[in-house]
Amino acid sequence: MGYWGDSLLTAFELILGFDREVRMAVWTSLYTSSCSILIAALLGVPIGLWLGLNRFRGRQLLIALLNTLMALPTVVVGLLLFGLFSRQGPLGPLGLLFTPLAMIAGQTVLAAPIVANLVLAAVTGADQRIINTALTLGASRLQAAIQLLREIRFGVMAAVIAGFGRVIAEVGVAMMLGGNIRNSTRTMTTAIALETSKGEFAFGLSLGIILLSVALIVNIFLNSLQQR
Amino acid sequence: MQPVILLKNIRVTLGESFSLSVESLALQPHRIYALTGPNGAGKSTLLRVMALLISPKAGTIEFAKNDSHGPARQRQRVTLVEQTPYLFNGSVTDNLGYGLKLRGISSRERSELIRTTLAIVGLEGFEQRQAKELSGGEVQRVALARALVLKPELLLLDEPTANIDSNSLQAYEALLRALPEYGSTVVFSTHDPSQSRRLGEEVLRIENGNLINRVDRQSAETVENERSLEYDA
Repeated sequence: MGYWGDSLLTAFELILGFDREVRMAVWTSLYTSSCSILIAALLGVPIGLWLGLNRFRGRQLLIALLNTLMALPTVVVGLLLFGLFSRQGPLGPLGLLFTPLAMIAGQTVLAAPIVANLVLAAVTGADQRIINTALTLGASRLQAAIQLLREIRFGVMAAVIAGFGRVIAEVGVAMMLGGNIRNSTRTMTTAIALETSKGEFAFGLSLGIILLSVALIVNIFLNSLQQR
Repeated sequence: MQPVILLKNIRVTLGESFSLSVESLALQPHRIYALTGPNGAGKSTLLRVMALLISPKAGTIEFAKNDSHGPARQRQRVTLVEQTPYLFNGSVTDNLGYGLKLRGISSRERSELIRTTLAIVGLEGFEQRQAKELSGGEVQRVALARALVLKPELLLLDEPTANIDSNSLQAYEALLRALPEYGSTVVFSTHDPSQSRRLGEEVLRIENGNLINRVDRQSAETVENERSLEYDA
């Protein structure tokens, strides 16, 4: 059947046979990405909302900074946090390096600017009457802002999903802060990199297929939200 | 009688070119006021100042029962219906229920208030209709009902008939005329002098950002007649 054919067959056998290595990598990826996107949403949504609703000196600078952070190379984030979490670093005593927690921290740094920026775009593009309507019906400023979030909920969900798409597919942070430890910090992406370098193309392919499927589902969901 | 709202020495500046100035304005309870003036004169700005959506640079705004504190609580005394109102996503009930929920009204009481208020504006049975599926006239009525259901002391309507077609105008004007019966003092803006005379018990005239006069309906009619005669001559 040839190299590709045999590899694909083995890959599907691994997936359908619920291979333990594959399962663990998928679980670690989903677990760390879900935790990081949750924290990123808790940080990014209020930041995007605040930047969208307020006009103050330095706002443009903050927006430019957010835009820059959106394009941060994952290895740079990994490198900087490695410096924080390594034994000689300021947070070294916490012993976080090469744990899922360190990966979650790094992925949060990657995802939060994306969420904040896309929420900011959704707030800026929202109907300008929403806030005043809520205020004139008796809402406080905070209640009006929450109502605005309700009105742009599809944009907010799209922002969160885009952030999730970024972190589940990244490899730099997971590799540098997680260390690719079997059954602990090995994610789909780091497992693909490792196993392929070891010549286990079929194993890498099985995880690649799962990762692509996750990316496809995320994008279909994202597209359907953006069309609402 | 104590006025519902009292504005003193109000100064508002918007941008570099526009400013609004009101030396003194007191609105009496259960009356309907027409706010007239040309486009850009400051009608909408004055309504937003009274709705506490714009903070004046100088001056004071006092309400009759000055027992509530904080801008949100003060704002709950006044409701503004914009010229092109925004309805929240969801049903008509969701829209009418929003302000009631903020005021802590129970679910059962909300349902009853929503039902009776929809009947007032001629939208019986619209409770479950989706806001996005309503026609322009229906949106206007739902927005009015959403304000009316809160029983505000002061109900502000910015060009309320601007989006109403000529067939529905008479019925809508009759509805506006009846609004003070539901306990609110009403101020509506219009650039149509005849409408201000038809509906307003008092006419407030604003020009170039200055509230220049305040007349009762009869005086307004006299002024308009004199203006017509001047034009005829």
